[in-house]
Amino acid sequence: MHDAGAGRMARRKVATKKPVDYADPEPSAFASMLGGLIEANVAASAAKRKDFGELHARVGVFVTDIDEGVTLDFDRGALVVHNGLQPKRDLTIRAEADTVMNLSNLKIGLFGMPVYYDEVGRGVAARLLQGRLRIDGLLGNLSTLNTVTRIFSVQ
Amino acid sequence: MAVEAFSDEWARQFKDEVNKSATYKSAAKGWKWTVGLVVEAEPDKNMPESVGVVMDLFDGEARDIHVGPAADAQACQFVITAPYSRWKQVATKELDATKGMLQGKLKLKGDLPTIVRYTKASQELTECTTRVPVEWPDER
Repeated sequence: MHDAGAGRMARRKVATKKPVDYADPEPSAFASMLGGLIEANVAASAAKRKDFGELHARVGVFVTDIDEGVTLDFDRGALVVHNGLQPKRDLTIRAEADTVMNLSNLKIGLFGMPVYYDEVGRGVAARLLQGRLRIDGLLGNLSTLNTVTRIFSVQ
Repeated sequence: MAVEAFSDEWARQFKDEVNKSATYKSAAKGWKWTVGLVVEAEPDKNMPESVGVVMDLFDGEARDIHVGPAADAQACQFVITAPYSRWKQVATKELDATKGMLQGKLKLKGDLPTIVRYTKASQELTECTTRVPVEWPDER
């Protein structure tokens, strides 16, 4: 029987840290949206949680037609979202607003690879070829890009 | 003939435009949530009170769109809020709704992954508003 007066009990520390945090006291609307989207995606999918738990990278996303960017600091199960582009990024994605939204709509296919042959994928690939979607730092970071795409994807 | 912005007649014509759109019908397949647009008052623009546009959208069809108190729109599952002049910019294609949301000019409440999944449908809804000829209160 439990004795309420039995003295101190060993307590296991319960992790309360939020997976997504914001570096700035007033996160921009874009930072809040991207952070909120990633938080919801990770909460809803075990596969995305696994990717999120393993990803260690600093990724910039810059929306060219609103001239606004964010930096996503992924650190194995934690993400800090910064307003604006911060230095020392592994990858930087630059695109117009509707392309950034389309990146979140890429389907994920076999072996966790983004699908570029359906309507959304072809649109993204075409923008890449037209130079309307630029990915800086891709060389050597293809696997990081695929992981980030999987975490972004709402499909 | 132009109709008064955010009037019952405007809501009827907006609903007709949505239901005429094949693009919306296909892009919104599976959508089953209510959407409220809150148009915040701007008395200096002849818009003395906030109003709400309540949209009952289901599986690519607009079952009902009506204008009422802002509180009705705020009770919807997805709510987009902006001052009157921002909505006017959206309806006259001066402001793209997606960009507006990313810039915080239009404030969104609701499940983000769902809204992102239906980006094309929401863009087409915006297109539908631009097809209704409107008489704006600040131009009267």
